[in-house]
Amino acid sequence: MAIADVKEYTHLSVEEVEQLGRELDAIRADIEESRNADDAAYINRMIRIQRGLAAAGRVTLIAGTQSAKTRKPAAVLGGSLLGLAKILENMEIGHNVMHGQWDWMNDPEIHSSNWEWDTAQPAEQWKHSHNYVHHQFTNVLGHDNDIGYGILRMAREQKWHPYYLGQPVYNALLASLFQWGVALHDLDLERIRKGEKDPKEMKRQLRQIVRKGRNQILKDYVVYPALAGRQWKTTLVANASANFARNLWSYMIIFCGHFPDGALHFTEEELEDETRAEWYLRQMLGSANFEGGRTLHILSGSLGYQIEHHLFPDLPSNRYPEISVKVRALCDKYDIPYTIGPLYKQYGQTFRTIMKLSLPNKMTSTDDPAPPERRDTADEPARDHKRRSDAERQPRRRELGAYSRSPREREHD
Amino acid sequence: MDAAPTTFAELPRDPRLGVPVPFACSSPRDLDKRRVTQCALSRVCGVCGASLGRPIAFLGTAREEGRNAFHFPPTHEACASALLAAYAGLGEPALGQDDVVDDWVLVTTAAFEFVRPGRDDLDRRPTFQPTVVLSR
Repeated sequence: MAIADVKEYTHLSVEEVEQLGRELDAIRADIEESRNADDAAYINRMIRIQRGLAAAGRVTLIAGTQSAKTRKPAAVLGGSLLGLAKILENMEIGHNVMHGQWDWMNDPEIHSSNWEWDTAQPAEQWKHSHNYVHHQFTNVLGHDNDIGYGILRMAREQKWHPYYLGQPVYNALLASLFQWGVALHDLDLERIRKGEKDPKEMKRQLRQIVRKGRNQILKDYVVYPALAGRQWKTTLVANASANFARNLWSYMIIFCGHFPDGALHFTEEELEDETRAEWYLRQMLGSANFEGGRTLHILSGSLGYQIEHHLFPDLPSNRYPEISVKVRALCDKYDIPYTIGPLYKQYGQTFRTIMKLSLPNKMTSTDDPAPPERRDTADEPARDHKRRSDAERQPRRRELGAYSRSPREREHD
Repeated sequence: MDAAPTTFAELPRDPRLGVPVPFACSSPRDLDKRRVTQCALSRVCGVCGASLGRPIAFLGTAREEGRNAFHFPPTHEACASALLAAYAGLGEPALGQDDVVDDWVLVTTAAFEFVRPGRDDLDRRPTFQPTVVLSR
């Protein structure tokens, strides 16, 4: 459905939608103006903790496995520490740094331009497939490749094909090998198949993936096991387990962001004319949060605040908790859904959707919740949110001094 | 189709004007809206299409600098300088500007905000607001 047709907000007038946008702008401005040394200390602390965990894990696996007495506990402990380090690095640090959340610090290392992360996908490709394709076209079928990663059928609007009968298996494979699935994500195999991919760009991307993937394999499956000497096999298995744990965790967290019941999909093709307020709305209606304590949120890369992350992907993640209070209050004020639930419930719904959509629509029922009952506008007709076309819109003024100012801004002249 | 990043020397040239057409433009005059958004979110240079570095540069007019709202997406500092040199004395509107620009400005920043247009904005193009200006 197009954003203009979404029942969850058709009770709002155009002016109310714009007012909601202005209130979200104000939340953004508040955070931008109050970013300070405490925020910088937070990300530096996260990086210190992550590097400590990684070092402790590597050392435990190299040294602790040498004695038969400590081998098993060292393998379990070392693998766990390493898995935690990888989760923290990918989720709370790498993902958020690459969104530019910490660029304002002007730190030569902690900057979206040069951060490279501990996973198989090259950072440059992630910034395209995730920051641009996913965050710009969030939940728009045919545009957002995160809807099933090109492998799974995640919306009833997607045409069913017998291929999807294997969805439970594809899902298990995707979860287990998630970093490699993500590594191939920006290649966009569907576009390659259709001959729509620039061959020069495809070769360049493949070279990047091979180089990055080779380095990841060398690190976890050759160099560090070799450093453990005769216990190389134990270290290799522990490293593989750490990667496996990180894969499962990041898969689950990412899938919980947009596929629990209540997170909407959109089918509109014409997104380029979307206003800022409508873009905000699409992000809010297409995303889902989960509840949890501070540690869970940090290990989830603050994606338990998926709604806030999609509204403000470049604001520091440690500020999402306070932002979420304000966003939720706005959802209450404007009577629009704020999708949230415990993690097990959000993933349970996602998993059920994956299983159900492996079958044709006629064999399953929809789980989409009915549009909410309105408190005070239930008897009013839905408002027309159809956007004006360029032909209907007043042309941009070209004379000096007025071409980019809104009527509201000009009131202050 | 997403094009591969290229060097400044390899940018396609406009057959009429002979100037290089940057990654974010559909012609020497017009910005490509989709590419502008891609540059903003993928954090790639609006001139060459490769990953941005530090500092991030914005080129524009004195008015854009005064309003802290640039239309041309972020660039490498060297790419911006090379582009402005190539467009110097062109004598017609270019790089997303409505009017001929004689005195371009170049601002460097550590960070920027990508501002999508609102419903009331007569100019329906997104803008970029440098938030940690390093040099002007």
